[in-house]
Amino acid sequence: MTMHFGRVLRNTVLILLSLLWAVPSWLLLVNAFVPAKEYTGTPHWLPGSFGLFDNFSQAWNEADLGPAMGNSLLYAVVGSLVAVLIATGAAFAVVIMPVRRRVLWFWLIYSGTLLPLQVFLRPLFLSYARFDLYDTQIGMFLVYATISIPFAFFLMRNYATTVPREVVEAARMDGASWWRMFWQIHVPLSKSAMVAAFSFQFVAIWNDLLFGITFSTSDNIRPAIAALSELQGSYSAVGPPVVLAGALLVSLPTLVLFFSAQRFFVNNLKLTR
Amino acid sequence: MRTTTAPPSAGHRPPSPEPRPLRPDPARRRVAARERFAAGAFMTPAVLLVGVVLLAPFATTVYRSFFDDHRHSGFAGLHNYQLFLTDDALLRSVENTLLWVVGTVALPFALGMLIACLTDATRWSRFARLCVIIPYALSGAAVAVVWNFVLSTDGALNQLLSAVGLESLSTSWLLDWPGNTLVIICVNAWQATGVAVILILVGLQGIPPETLEAASLDGAGPWQRFRHVVLPQLRPVSIIVIGMSLANGLKSFDLLWVLTRGGPGRATETLAVSMYQETFLLQRPGAGSAIAVVLTVIVLGASWLYLRRQFDEKGA
Repeated sequence: MTMHFGRVLRNTVLILLSLLWAVPSWLLLVNAFVPAKEYTGTPHWLPGSFGLFDNFSQAWNEADLGPAMGNSLLYAVVGSLVAVLIATGAAFAVVIMPVRRRVLWFWLIYSGTLLPLQVFLRPLFLSYARFDLYDTQIGMFLVYATISIPFAFFLMRNYATTVPREVVEAARMDGASWWRMFWQIHVPLSKSAMVAAFSFQFVAIWNDLLFGITFSTSDNIRPAIAALSELQGSYSAVGPPVVLAGALLVSLPTLVLFFSAQRFFVNNLKLTR
Repeated sequence: MRTTTAPPSAGHRPPSPEPRPLRPDPARRRVAARERFAAGAFMTPAVLLVGVVLLAPFATTVYRSFFDDHRHSGFAGLHNYQLFLTDDALLRSVENTLLWVVGTVALPFALGMLIACLTDATRWSRFARLCVIIPYALSGAAVAVVWNFVLSTDGALNQLLSAVGLESLSTSWLLDWPGNTLVIICVNAWQATGVAVILILVGLQGIPPETLEAASLDGAGPWQRFRHVVLPQLRPVSIIVIGMSLANGLKSFDLLWVLTRGGPGRATETLAVSMYQETFLLQRPGAGSAIAVVLTVIVLGASWLYLRRQFDEKGA
């Protein structure tokens, strides 16, 4: 009897919690499909006519979401690629090469990810204005790549400590240079960890808002989340369906990446324990 | 999403692969120097970028926080820090930040634990888990857009309430303090619980089933098993989950900025938003710098919660 009651209670709690989590996502989906002209001011709960692509294209034009997503893609791909390469090199040096003061170097690079982004903003903003980096793609790339290095370095360093030392020592015996060892042995061995670090940093850069609104303003420079933030600002003017469609559109890349690489994420969370 | 997790202490590798010779001959020393030079070349890009783009601005911000915001900015000692005791908007911001600390420690952890334990073994648990994990893959800005749609005065929540006859409960959710801050903390939990669930599930799978069976044989009920077997074994994961959601919650900017811009007035600001507001919108960089420094101290304190564990473990 008590077993039975326990199971009912457990399932009820589970259903309620799932609903609590599913309903907002459901509303996002349903109302992003409502044609903007048919939206009467009250939220829809069931799917009706199909206006998703109209809303997409309106968001694309209204908030210039299209070019902004191109920018984000560029920053997220190139930024995290460069960051992961640099971080892998640094991890290789700190773990495998004979270096003095490993702890110092580790903390010097790693400390960047512990600090809140707010402490970098104003000095960077002033230097960017002075060196003509403000509102430029190279400026955005620079700040995104750098902010990605510390955590990528942390992941790659953890991974490097698991690479058996014998591999390196054998290569040393054969007289291979560090440069060749890095590219021909270490990088191929670390490939899966590098992919994981890349996906982590891709998502982090893609989802950033603070740097986007601080260091860029023009439509052809600013990232997608900054454009979405502006679109939300014109919520009543363009109508909720368009804004929701914009949010959905901007979230698609990270959603796809997350669910196609879910195992990577979970494994990495395990790795960092 | 930025997940910071604990670094294993860096200093416990064997110092150097080559044993140091008793009397270093010049040739050998040259090789060692060249090795160090090569290592330097591998580290330089990372050290240089982090140093110039992150650590130097950090130092500048700390320095700037001791200067006032008059036209000819002069040394002001701790004046900017005294604003935390006198400025009404900042006091509110501190209150909100404390609420966030409590909310981000309690909610994602408790909900994550509940959901992870409930879905560990049920039939349609995959679906329930999926529901919880989807928001984690969304950006804070997209989450804000969704919840603005739910919470606005003519939004989905008020519509639902009046549909089931609870019209008296419907209200302007984001208008009055402290209700608006509490609502936003719940929204944050809606997003942050996903990662807690993943981490706790990983932890649960690490518990050997024999210990649970042994506890059952000894006559322990489900609650006792949870309290005395599961919970102690989840301690390391719990510390990571709490530390991570605390640090992320304190740093969270995009959710608040897109949902309320810190408003109405400045009622829902936390320190992360106040810094931006003071520095860039109110043109008070000294006050903004002081807020950034205080925020850093709190975030580092929260991170220390779980960084420390690593050092304990390695006995350093």
